[in-house]
Amino acid sequence: MEVKVISPVDKVLVQIKGRVDTTNAAQFQEDLTFIMQGDMKDIELDCSELEYTSSQGLRVFLMLQKAVQSRGGKMVLTNMQTQVKEVFDITGFSNIIKIL
Amino acid sequence: MEEKNERALDLHCTMILDEYRAMEPALRRLEKWAYHRIKEAIDKAGLMVTACESRVKTEDSLAGKLELKGSKYAFLNDITDLVGIRVITLYVGDVDKIAAIVESLFNVDWDNSVDKRLTHSLDSFGYNSLHYICRIPDGAYEDPECPEIVNYRFEVQMRTTLQHIWAAIYHDTGYKSDVEVPRNYLRNLSRLAGMLELVDDEFSRMRLAISDYRRKVQGMVASGHFDEVPLDGDSFRSYLALHPFDTLNQSIAAVNQAEIHDISLFPYLGVLQYIGCKTLGDVEKIIKEHGGDAYRMAVHQIGGTDIDILTSSIGLQSLCNVAMVRKGGGVNDLEKMYEILSGPSDYNRHRAERAMGQARLLGIAAE
Repeated sequence: MEVKVISPVDKVLVQIKGRVDTTNAAQFQEDLTFIMQGDMKDIELDCSELEYTSSQGLRVFLMLQKAVQSRGGKMVLTNMQTQVKEVFDITGFSNIIKIL
Repeated sequence: MEEKNERALDLHCTMILDEYRAMEPALRRLEKWAYHRIKEAIDKAGLMVTACESRVKTEDSLAGKLELKGSKYAFLNDITDLVGIRVITLYVGDVDKIAAIVESLFNVDWDNSVDKRLTHSLDSFGYNSLHYICRIPDGAYEDPECPEIVNYRFEVQMRTTLQHIWAAIYHDTGYKSDVEVPRNYLRNLSRLAGMLELVDDEFSRMRLAISDYRRKVQGMVASGHFDEVPLDGDSFRSYLALHPFDTLNQSIAAVNQAEIHDISLFPYLGVLQYIGCKTLGDVEKIIKEHGGDAYRMAVHQIGGTDIDILTSSIGLQSLCNVAMVRKGGGVNDLEKMYEILSGPSDYNRHRAERAMGQARLLGIAAE
């Protein structure tokens, strides 16, 4: 799993690569701490190279969304692969997290 | 170059104007204080207003007033609208609520206050607004730089948005009173005032009717008379408060020992209506008739995974899939259902095909 910050100013664009599972979910969360604790309001997570997310990954997305919304910001997940999107659909997370 | 209005003021009026210049900073502090007291009380009461605004009379406006009727005032503090606050409401009834708030905050000078709504004769229509002239209650406000400010009064105007529009347009004509307005324009202004009064009353009646309906629906939902309750935003909200999908959600979650994250199920209202539910009784029927299949379909999706977090939409989502398929809906109908829920997207087709495939596999839909 790799988290790469493309644009840290104004609109934050972050690329997520690989698999988020039980072995690296804590690291995933830590890599995104700067968004949770920062004051950026416009967050885009590019999931084009995200291959899989476990429940732990979903929890991190949820925490991230709560943090961004609590400061009046918006978070959007883009370019998600079908098999990952299915996980969001099955769990109902696609009803609360904006996926484009 | 700015053009300055030259007014023909006598010595008395000039002295009042000089007094105003000296008092202006204190008037601004009074304005700020009175405004914040009113605004805070309105917010605390949970009243929605279109606007709450304040101003201190400008020197030019005061000079104009003095030019017209300066002899009426012995001192500056005889003028009651140097500080003005205006509250504009959505509904007629809210004007009286704001008035009650103002009465509780300040001492109303009843002799100089006027309810313009009561000043019209039975067959005339025009400016409708409630004007209170207020005094500062003892000890409520002090200004160390200008102690005498406590002897000044200020005006609070209260009216509805439509009354405000009429007043603003009337003011824009430039006429100060009805007697100045040419007869045919006066007639038009009166007609419009009458019409806006009717519209204001209709909006209030509509609000009351909606409140009554909501109370009635809440009562019917609480007493379980679902067949008699039309499925709409109000009834669905009341219904969701009963947590009708919790049992199904918990059964599904138990399979993976998953935690359930609560989310709003309100977006499913449109989906249920699309499926054909017309009453809450129809929704209940779906739970009763398709709960078992919805459970099987959801478990089919999550059973083979290690997912241990679900949202509270899991049961209802599965119910909608099953209900749509059971009533003969195809992939196109499922796709439309997802579009209602998530907006248009190419992915909805894929999702619909997948759901239909699962339904066929489980024998819920015909091959």
